[in-house]
Parts: sequence; C-alpha cells; structure tokens
Amino acid sequence: MQTRLHARNGVIGEGVKFERIRRVTGYLVGTLDRFNNGKRAEERDRVKHMHV
Amino acid sequence: MIRFIVKRDGRKVSFNEDKISNAIRKALISAHPDDKSTSQYEEDLVEKFTRQVIQEIEKKNLSEPSVENTQDIIEKVLIKEGMAAEAKNFILYRQNRTNIRTYNTDLTKIFRDLTSKSTADMDLKRENANIDANAPMGLMLRFGSEGSKDYVKRYVLRPEHSIAHSRGDIHIHDLDFYMLTINCCQISLKGLFERGFSTGHGFLREPQSIQSAAALCCIAIQSNQNDQHGGQSIPLFEYDLAPYVAISYSKHLCKVMNVCLRNDDYDLTEIKDLCKDLYKKNNTCLSEDSSEQIRNKVLEFLDKYKPGCDHQEDVKYIMDEAFKLTERETYQSMEALIHNLNSMQSRAGAQVPFSSINYGTGTTIEQRMIMKNVLMATDAGLGGGETPIFPVQIFKVKDGINTKPGDPNYDLFELACKVSAKRLFPNFSFLDAPYNIQYYKEGHPETEVAVMGCRTRVFSNYYDKTKEIIPGRGNLSFTTINLPRLAIDAHGSISKFYESLDKMVYMVFDQLMERFNLIAKKQVLNYPFLMGQGVWLDSDKLNPEDKIEDVIKHGSMSVGFIGLAECLVALVGKHHGESKEAYELGYNIIKHMRELTDKKTVESGLNFTLFSTPAEGLSGRFVKIDKKLYGEIKGVTDRDYYTNSFHVPVYYDISAAEKIKIEGPFHALCNAGAISYVEMDGDLTKNIKAFQDVILYMKDCGVGYGSINHPVDRCPVCNYVGVIGDVCPRCGRRDGEGVSIERLRKLGVGCICTG
Repeated sequence: MQTRLHARNGVIGEGVKFERIRRVTGYLVGTLDRFNNGKRAEERDRVKHMHV
Repeated sequence: MIRFIVKRDGRKVSFNEDKISNAIRKALISAHPDDKSTSQYEEDLVEKFTRQVIQEIEKKNLSEPSVENTQDIIEKVLIKEGMAAEAKNFILYRQNRTNIRTYNTDLTKIFRDLTSKSTADMDLKRENANIDANAPMGLMLRFGSEGSKDYVKRYVLRPEHSIAHSRGDIHIHDLDFYMLTINCCQISLKGLFERGFSTGHGFLREPQSIQSAAALCCIAIQSNQNDQHGGQSIPLFEYDLAPYVAISYSKHLCKVMNVCLRNDDYDLTEIKDLCKDLYKKNNTCLSEDSSEQIRNKVLEFLDKYKPGCDHQEDVKYIMDEAFKLTERETYQSMEALIHNLNSMQSRAGAQVPFSSINYGTGTTIEQRMIMKNVLMATDAGLGGGETPIFPVQIFKVKDGINTKPGDPNYDLFELACKVSAKRLFPNFSFLDAPYNIQYYKEGHPETEVAVMGCRTRVFSNYYDKTKEIIPGRGNLSFTTINLPRLAIDAHGSISKFYESLDKMVYMVFDQLMERFNLIAKKQVLNYPFLMGQGVWLDSDKLNPEDKIEDVIKHGSMSVGFIGLAECLVALVGKHHGESKEAYELGYNIIKHMRELTDKKTVESGLNFTLFSTPAEGLSGRFVKIDKKLYGEIKGVTDRDYYTNSFHVPVYYDISAAEKIKIEGPFHALCNAGAISYVEMDGDLTKNIKAFQDVILYMKDCGVGYGSINHPVDRCPVCNYVGVIGDVCPRCGRRDGEGVSIERLRKLGVGCICTG
C-alpha cells in the first residue's frame, strides 16, 4: 500500500495519532476526540465481560 | 430591619414591602384568572404571607437581600402554606420573566462560544460525534440549531415542558427540529426504484444494473435524510437490490456471448427477456432451474449464429464468465455503496447521512450474492483500510435460515460474525424473539423486524392494524425521562417514586401530543422526498397541498428513559446487576412504563411506545445537573454519565452470559427499540466461535438487537487494523511517533509524498 502522509527528514507520521474506533451509544465514531464528555467517561470506565 | 434590596443588575434600591405583597397577590389571583380582584380572605393571606416572607429574610440575616432570593423565599412560603397551584404559577411567572430578560444574553453567549472556542474545549460542539462542528457547514448547522432550540424553548413549548426540559426532569430530543419535521424512516427501495423518483432537479428512471441500483440506494438515503432529523434505514436490503443483480447478469451474459461470437450486432434481446421472465417467475435467474433454461437459450442462439459447431464448451464458458462478472460487479457496487455512505454529505455538508441496512434472510442466489459482497467490502474497509462508520449494518438472525449448520444462510451468519469481529458491524437482530415473531409472516420479508442504526424500531401499528409492516414507517419523536432524579427525590419511598413517575410520563404524553399536532399541520410539499416521492407509508395517496396528519399516524411517539441502574441505587442501594430484589424492582418499573404507553396507545389510537434511549448527546447532561442539585451521591451521581437505558453499568464486573440474561427481558418491554452490548477484548478475529456463541446466546435470552463491542484501532502510518496498545504491532511506533521511510518500505508501505 501507499501512505499519503508527508515525510519530514525521512520520517513519516510524527504527531499522527492512532485511530481508535469505539461505539458507546449506537453509532460508531472514528476517533475518541469527537465524543462528548459523558461518552468519553463511559468508554473509560468500561470493564470487559470476558468470562463467558 | 431591611433597608435595601439588591436588584439583578447590582443596583441597591430601598426596600419596599408592597412589592412583595404585590407578587403574592398576583400569584393568588393567577389561581382564578377569570376574576382579577381579591377577596378579603385573600387580602388577609397576602398580609400574612408578606409578614412570613419578611420574617424569613430577617431570620436569614439578610440585611440586603437580592430580588432573586426574595423570590425564592416567596416560592417557599407559598409551598409551605399549601398553595400548590399558586406556587406553580409563581414559578412559571418567574421563568417567563427570566426568559424575556435573558433572551439576548444566552443565545449570544452560545454563538460567541461556537465561533471562538475549539471543539476540544466545548462539549456542545461534540454533542453528536458524527457532526464535525469545526467545519464551516457543521458550525452553521450548530448556529441554526442553537437559535431554533432557544426559540422553541421560549415561545413554542408549554412553559411547564420547557422548564422540565431546562431543569433536566426530561429531555426533549431534537428540539431544534421541533416545528420542522419527524425523526426517521424505514425506506423501501422497491417501490421507489420501480416507479423511478425525483430528487428535485430531474427524474431518475428505474436502475438497470446492480451498480446503478446501489448508487441510487445512496441517493435515496441522502435525499430522505434531508427531510428528517434522524437516521435512514433500508430494512430489506437484499430483497430490494436483488432484481438488479439479475439484470446485470443478463447484460453480462449477452456481452460475453457477443465476445464469443466476435460480433456486437447480433440481437440478443430474447436472452434478456428470458432472464426477465424467469426472474419474475422464479424470483431468481441464477437457480439451477433458471440457469438450465438460460443455458438452452444461449445454446440455441450460438447454433443459430454459428451453425455447425459444437458449442458445449462455449456455453459453459459464457455461463461461468457471466456469473463471475456479475459477482465482480456486485462486489464493486457494494464497495461503492459503503464508500459513498461514508463520504457523501447531507444537511448542507455537515454530516454524512445516518444510514442503516438490514439483511440476512434472503436465500436466492442474487440476494445471497449481495449479502456476501457487502460483508466482504466491509471486511476490506475503506480506501485506506479504515473501518466504515456507515452504514450501520444489521444482520437478521432467524432459526431455520441462518443459525445452524445446514441452514441455507448459515455460511453468511458465520461470515457476518467474522466481519463483525474485525469491524464492529454488522450488529445482530433476532427475528425469533416472541415480540418479533408475532408479526412475522413467512414469505413476507416486510414483516421481518428491522431496526434503525441507533436501535429504534417501529413495528406494531395500533392506528392501522392492517399495516403492521416495517417499510415506510418510522419514529416521529421521543422524549427521555430522568429516572435517577425521580428516585433521588423519592428519598427511598417506592410509592412516592411511582407516583412522580406517573406524573412525569403523563406530562411527556402531553408534550409528545403537542409536538404531533404541530407537525400534523405540515403539508406533503414540506417533505419533497419523504412524502413527495411516496417513501412514507400512504403518502403516495396524498396531493402536495394535503396535510400529513393522517399518514404520520403510522409512525410512533416514544417515551424514553435513562439510568435505570442509578435509579435503583438511589431507591434501594443496589442496581439490577448486583441484586435480585433490585432487578425485580427495575423490571417492574420498566414494565409499568410500558403499561402506561400501551394504555395511552389505546386511549389515543396512536402508536405510543417505550424506548431505551440511545442518549448520544444525553449521556452526560442529566447527571451534570443532578450533581449540582444533589451533590455527589455514591453510585448515582458520582460519574460523568448516567448508565444507558436498562443496561447493567459498564463499570460493573459481570460475565457476558450474566449481562445478557439480565438485559434480555427488558427488550420485550421496550417496543420502540433497545440494544444490548457485550464488551470483549483482544483479537476476536482469532476466536470467531466464541463470538458466534455470544450472539446466539443473546438470541436464546430474548434479546432483540445486540452487538459485541471490542476495540478497533488503526495506525494511519502503516495501516495496521486491530488492537493497538501503546505500540503499533506492525510498524512499532508509539502514538504520535514517526517511522523512517526505509522501515515502512520494508513493511511494504510506499510513500507518495517524500521530501
């Protein structure tokens, strides 16, 4: 594949954050930055239900 | 002795007892508005209450009281003296005055903040995560939205509804659209496509390939979204699109024949017609039976145009190649559909349409081809490998069709689980749940439950029982009740809680009816696509000038709720995940609410339903106000959000099975829609079996709609998709770090923009 990010001094991606897709109430969101404060807090507090 | 009073603007003026008497007198008169005079008895009361107010002020040692706290005291005295109606009117009067006073300041402040503060600093700008309020059109939408909300709150809502909303007793959703439109719609593409449709500047004929059908599907979603404030769903995705796979097939077939015959001019219309007839008769062109007849026809034509040769091998090649080309086109169509729905803009460019597609039960080869390819395109992701945010995909799970090995679509269920384990979609809806199966008629996919992406569903139709179908209907509007507050105010008394809950629900009924009456007066021409193109049920029977009142009665009005968990903690100290007693109480509360909406449905003849509110913007709003009012109450107001609907709190450690078992029964009660989530960790794509088991367990526990949440991360530098902890497993960088061009090249990532 090709990346469209610009290289600076032979290095690519400085300052570029990982995308973290989450679903809190219904729709997916491509980045946590767009969540409102309530949803951010809810995402942070979640525990996994791993013991099936 | 009180000598001065401090006015709102800070000026000190001499204290005048008469002003207090006047306020009280007005409050008393307000209880009998027809007679503006006061009786002697009332005058005595005025004097008595005025004395009490002054004593109260003196007791508080307020030598210079403010207008605001004097009014607070008047309010309290009236309540204490049992003047309920008078006190209520006084509160309304104050609110009204505040409204007029703050008319300019509130809105101006919001507008100033919208333009000067960044999204990161302003919660309001992140109310809905899928609207980018940094961009000009998103911001423009916010300006309009805030202006409209302000106007509706001040001048349109009944004062008690407006106050209840502002104080956080209830949340009236989509207030900005209060006088404009209705929420959402389950769109049938079949009628739209067969009739052809117009989006305003030209007529679109029926599509003649799966490629154009998929493109028009997006246009329909986009156009309809502009007429409504909520989302758009295609409930019969594979059924609506399958005919166009067949048309594409017939075209590919003829093209390959032309190539084989080395001649473009031969007339092959008969082949196309045969395909059309077969599709009409068998509902498929690709079944063995249909294929056999097509094969014979192809052979007949080959013999006709190239006599004297053995065409057996050619026929096989032509049939196989046409199939392959059709499959390829279907994949590309689905890929384009997903790309379009993540990039095409609606609402003046502020957002992509909120779209959902439902599928899973169609068993013809065409229908299966659509489902397989939409899943594969989802799996592949967008152009840079990103996970598609839209459309929300819902896989319909149905016994006998896709739940067990040997079922015709079991392979698609497995594929759906595999894709969901990587991409979070599809979600799963369960047709066999008792409350869904009651409407199900085999061979009538329009009776299969479908949902909007947010979880809304509209199924039962008390208004017109002959039309208990999914397509062409949707939710009109909904209002959410703050359950935790009612519980806090009840101070542990269950009966007091129920009493105030009833009052609140009835108030919401009134408010929903008022909203309905406002919208009912609108005309078909106000909704050029939704009503003008006959998308909404029965709107095709109306003329442009007709009122929409009768047809929107097919829609639903819903009472929503939030924070059952916090409500229970406030009432009995525990939530329904940790105590059986709390569970029973919680179940009864929601059951009671459902009984109220059912009763209201019968009384009004309209579809009132109970909703487990998604709370996109609401998750933090109530609790913020309640924290201010009541302080931090452990397990109730001590977090930044109230727990969604009837969910077991996200912070509570519980097994997946237990959570599903607890939440399942609530799905039957929430007939306006509900969803259950299970949180899982790690790379689920390596354990599809466990994923599948959880989904099927949901089905067994009566869940109507569910999904599994798991982290899906992506590194935009090397394009790794999966779980990323602190370090990207592929390129080894940390968040925000750079990677050298050489290293990326070794990983097979080229760089277009060097320098």
